[in-house]
Amino acid sequence: MEVKVEGGDEFANASYEKLCNLICRDIGVKGNIDRLQMFCNAAEHIFILSVKIGRVGSPVKVRDVTQREGKKLRITNEKYAPELLALLWDKYGKGKEEGVEEGVEEGVEEEEGDGERGGERVRQISRLEVGFELKEEEVAELMELVVSDPRDDLTFKILDGIDRILPEGARVRHPVSTAHGVTILASENPIKEEWRATAEKIAQEMEGVNENV
Amino acid sequence: MKMYEIMMFTGGVYKFNELKEVVEDIGGFVLQEMVMQSETMMHLAFPVEEEPRIRAKAKELGGKLKELPLAGAEIMVVVPSLGKHHAVDPMCDVAEFLRRNGAITNMIGLARGVGKRIAQMTAREKAIIEECDAAVFVFGNFKECLTEKAARLCSGLEVPYLIVGGPPESDLAESDLAESDLGLDLENYVGGVGRRAERMRRKSEIELLEKMVEALKEVLDEKKRELEEDPLAASPLFVKEMIEMNLPPKAGEELPIVIHLDGLRVKVGQEDEERVLEIEIGKRRLSEICEMKESLYSGHLLKVLPEAVTGSVF
Repeated sequence: MEVKVEGGDEFANASYEKLCNLICRDIGVKGNIDRLQMFCNAAEHIFILSVKIGRVGSPVKVRDVTQREGKKLRITNEKYAPELLALLWDKYGKGKEEGVEEGVEEGVEEEEGDGERGGERVRQISRLEVGFELKEEEVAELMELVVSDPRDDLTFKILDGIDRILPEGARVRHPVSTAHGVTILASENPIKEEWRATAEKIAQEMEGVNENV
Repeated sequence: MKMYEIMMFTGGVYKFNELKEVVEDIGGFVLQEMVMQSETMMHLAFPVEEEPRIRAKAKELGGKLKELPLAGAEIMVVVPSLGKHHAVDPMCDVAEFLRRNGAITNMIGLARGVGKRIAQMTAREKAIIEECDAAVFVFGNFKECLTEKAARLCSGLEVPYLIVGGPPESDLAESDLAESDLGLDLENYVGGVGRRAERMRRKSEIELLEKMVEALKEVLDEKKRELEEDPLAASPLFVKEMIEMNLPPKAGEELPIVIHLDGLRVKVGQEDEERVLEIEIGKRRLSEICEMKESLYSGHLLKVLPEAVTGSVF
């Protein structure tokens, strides 16, 4: 991640550069940001923070976190177990535990199930084992299901990071979004048109830098 | 002339009671005592002239004595807000370092202290800060914000204060603004801290905190000198001892009596309020030598009047 802070005095620029690095590291988005640029004008209380989003991890599919063993799936990465089970139960229905009479619960489950659900065909056998009763073509489809997409909460994390970096008093915001990133203009005063134009210019410049990269 | 010296003793538990006895024999007080398994820590107050005797005893017991430059003072650490921008770093580093040097610290985050033009302090916040002996304001990185905030938030305070901020002192001294327009007195300013997102643990950062303690000590020394010129009717340390003799602290109560330079903060219930005022200090009652008022946030404040007003207590 490349960080550039300008507009303040020497101490403020160095301090904010360090803050940007530490905050992005803390919230775990340092590897997903290509470039971060901040412009400060403390005299007019204007702060512009522009972020260019870089590489994002590819979606994690069922086949990435499990291993097929006949009519069972063995979870190989337990970190994704809750999301995987939630996904499978939602799509194929939650299997009954042994000893529960099928006839009693069947009607209830059918009423609750949505269009995609085809009965209760997935059940957790043990901590890392999931049993299923699916046709072969359904299994192929199951293996391609997306368990977790890092892009989903990246936007939320980056916006949280920007909020932490920008001074707390700068509550009037003007966002400028571009294809590969976001730029936020913040101030405690009403934002003038000239500053909006500056923010848009910075956003375009960031976009240009990225294209060249 | 300074009456009492306050120091911290750290050492083993072996015979440490002997040190307590020596302190009591020479008319001193044990302000805080903490025994942690085989380690012990005590804050001791004793007459200045008896320091060699205490040092000799501490050496005999194999313990260490450390001077506490801020002991006997309650200090308020003020930050613009309690949000993640200011807490926990650097406000907790600042407060922790003050405590290591003997101060009792409180923290306050202002309701509307953020920003530059919009920063303000309510009358109630100002009154709460003024209950303490001194205040330390922790501000951010920008010279422009810092000077405006200092002028607006700190200049009206009636207690001594120190500002800890980002821009180094040399930057402010060289700034185009005249000191009167700067909004802050550079003698009460320590720079180089500013906004932080991690603990101050490197050598250069510890040195900054030490510099802050030194600056605050000077600020407090001035207040102490003023008190020495017009001495109090009784030392707050002595008043604390008398209150504790008459109203033993309840179990589990933390710091029931906090010493100020010119009085005390006493955390007692309404039922004991009258009893406190009836306590005899020498030939006088506490109500004759103190002004009592309810604190805006914790306990009651006792302000000891000067001897010139009350006459001698003995």
